Amino acid sequence: MNKSLLLLFYRKEALAFFLSRAGQALLATFGVLTIVFFIMRLSGDPTLLLVPEGASAAQIAELRHQLGFDQPLAVQYLAYLHDMARFDFGESLVQRAPVWGIVTERLPYTVALAAGALVVALGVGIPAGIVMAVARGSWVERALAGVVLAGQSLPTFWSGILLILLFGVVLGWLPTSGVDGFSSVIMPSLALGAVAMSTFARMTRIAVLDELQRDYVNAARARGLSRWQAVRRHVLRNAAIPVVTIAALEIGNLLAGAVIVESVFAWPGLGQLAIQSIQSRDFLVVQAVVLFISLVYVAANLVADLAYAAIDPRIRAGG
Amino acid sequence: MRRLLAACLATCLALPAWAQSHDTLTVDLPGDVATMDPQIQWDTESYSVYRNIFDNLVTRDGSGKIIPQVATDWHYANDTSVVFNLRTDITFHDGSKLTPEDVVFSVRRITNPAFKSPQLSQFDQIVSAEVTGPAQVTLHTKSPYPVLLAQLVKLSIIPKAYVEKVGDTEFNQHVIGSGPFRLASWQRGVQTNLVANDSYWRGKPAFKTVTFRAVPDTATRIADLKTGRADITRGLSPDDATDLKSAKGLDVRAVATERVAYLFVNTLFGPTKDKRVRQAIAMAVDRDTIISALQQGFAKPTSVVLSPVDFGYDPTIKPWPYDPDAARKLIKEAGAEGATIPFLTSPAYDRRLNEAVQQMLADVGLKVVISVVDQPTYLKRRLGTPEEASALSQGRWSCGCLDADGVIFPLFRSGSVWSKFADPAFDAEVDAARATLDEQVRLAHYHKAFEILHDEVPGVGLFQDEAIYLVKHDIAWTPTPDEAFFVYSMHYTD
Repeated sequence: MNKSLLLLFYRKEALAFFLSRAGQALLATFGVLTIVFFIMRLSGDPTLLLVPEGASAAQIAELRHQLGFDQPLAVQYLAYLHDMARFDFGESLVQRAPVWGIVTERLPYTVALAAGALVVALGVGIPAGIVMAVARGSWVERALAGVVLAGQSLPTFWSGILLILLFGVVLGWLPTSGVDGFSSVIMPSLALGAVAMSTFARMTRIAVLDELQRDYVNAARARGLSRWQAVRRHVLRNAAIPVVTIAALEIGNLLAGAVIVESVFAWPGLGQLAIQSIQSRDFLVVQAVVLFISLVYVAANLVADLAYAAIDPRIRAGG
Repeated sequence: MRRLLAACLATCLALPAWAQSHDTLTVDLPGDVATMDPQIQWDTESYSVYRNIFDNLVTRDGSGKIIPQVATDWHYANDTSVVFNLRTDITFHDGSKLTPEDVVFSVRRITNPAFKSPQLSQFDQIVSAEVTGPAQVTLHTKSPYPVLLAQLVKLSIIPKAYVEKVGDTEFNQHVIGSGPFRLASWQRGVQTNLVANDSYWRGKPAFKTVTFRAVPDTATRIADLKTGRADITRGLSPDDATDLKSAKGLDVRAVATERVAYLFVNTLFGPTKDKRVRQAIAMAVDRDTIISALQQGFAKPTSVVLSPVDFGYDPTIKPWPYDPDAARKLIKEAGAEGATIPFLTSPAYDRRLNEAVQQMLADVGLKVVISVVDQPTYLKRRLGTPEEASALSQGRWSCGCLDADGVIFPLFRSGSVWSKFADPAFDAEVDAARATLDEQVRLAHYHKAFEILHDEVPGVGLFQDEAIYLVKHDIAWTPTPDEAFFVYSMHYTD
């Protein structure tokens, strides 16, 4: 087989791989749509939460009819799928505004927070992991292990309040809540990024330790490179493979964590919107938020698969 | 993508705006405004904000008395028609005059079923509204309706021409009213900025700008007050309030509201069908301990299922005494010793109170089994058949109308979705109290109605709930029982 044939074969393989993954992603999205629709309806429609206390049975039935919740579930579901196929997210029951606008208004806040958290997670987690691997057995590793453990174990609703008390109330360095410029994003990012930071630190530590035991490292050391030089020049690139795949998946976890962090810091992103909408049974908004978050999950998984293939030449070669 | 990046950058680099001055007031609310249109939602958050933008036909003073606002005075033309004379010096924020047409439009819009206002049930006794003079409107009700004025306190007057011109969606986003503040900007989920209406007919407000922020976490709201990011907040728990009593520069201000905490007792199904069991439950519940231990004193005992600030409250009806021995005796008589009593609740209700009641009833020989479900399921069951509704549940009730008609009618009148009580004598009393405008006659009917409720125990009144605010010490403001949040009545003391 000559080189161009090999390339063609590879491209076909890659396309088939991509198409099969995209198909799975589509199926997963459809599954999410269906599950969200039925779970939200399992516990009753929102009419009872919308009417004032004291409304009569006839008034409740009237509003239920106007909102369409008296239709058979199958009819509601088909109408819902029809709307989704046209990217019509409808109008919020509670806010009386287009759902698409409500969700996209909140999106930049969550993206900003997730980006901040990712910076914390990667910026602290990866160096900490490398140091823990290289300085294995020393007091430095033990001290960092303590930090990693704390990041992993502290629930964000609690660590968030502690951060507010320390940096907001006692020291007065950072705003305690809301959106007032760059300083506002620091504490929520720390709180949200802590768990991901620990994951990255542990993964990096394991990956680097694994690579340090390889023959090529011994060879590099034999050529006269110091331990740190060997790490910098050879180990990091190889150790990056599992870390990059995890980074993509962690984005999904950050969105999940944002639900709590956004409530604690009054950060007006999708997480807070999700909580408010679930509480007020604003079905259409909940559906749109969950759909969006699941799409990010699905896309992140897809990207992780592709990135894995892109970084590791052995996978590219079909090995 | 580029727009998204730009929006993220704008989000992060927005200028800090938390320098405080006496011209501005920052309010931390536990949630976001749902709608700015006052004829759609009336949840506490939306209500707290938009009532500062609009005027109402009538309003209440600090003591709860109904007083004129857009209407100067009113009289009954007959039992079902009320004539309102209106002020002629009110203008909307766009400079247009507030006319009788605007008042009629406001009534017709909210009572139009096609508008789908969740508030419809508060106004659907009004059958028509008409302009009957250059500064006069007349409202007609289906039958004599003594609570009409109390309901009209919640009807904001909106500008007909503007709403018709821009449409409902645009009006909701950019509302115009005639109140002391006008909407400057509304960032959903973030904050609402109001600016003073300097030509307000009652005089210029003390604050030039008011910001309402959505801060769901109580600890964060308290931190905001402590650091000066906010000047006032609400929704504190009694525990928070106790901790903050000595906070420097901050006042805990509480007011007994029209919200009544009660124990619902199912009279139509299960072990509580027996009146003796219900009376025993009333005697087994120790209100004073609940108020001192759980509410930290932030509550007042009530003898019936009605707040003492409501019309119709009758202090001559005494509560069942706390008497566990008598309760045990009654339970023995009823043969209900060790009976299992299902207690339905949701996370919206104070878990500690449920458990306290469980323990108190265990002490007199009843086995209470608490089942916690989500709020929509709770409502579905509680409003369902007597078989679905469980024997006991905790409730908090406020009609926003300060009248017994809005409380004991929906809760206990047979045929109402909330009621699990059927007593023709009681029904006759509350029906009669609803059908006359004579206050003395109404009070007499309510007296008899409460006597029946006392004896039959379809519910046990526990306490009058207090609304607890945290306010900067130098802001003069007294919270009111109707939980209205009028910034116009606030100002700095220096």
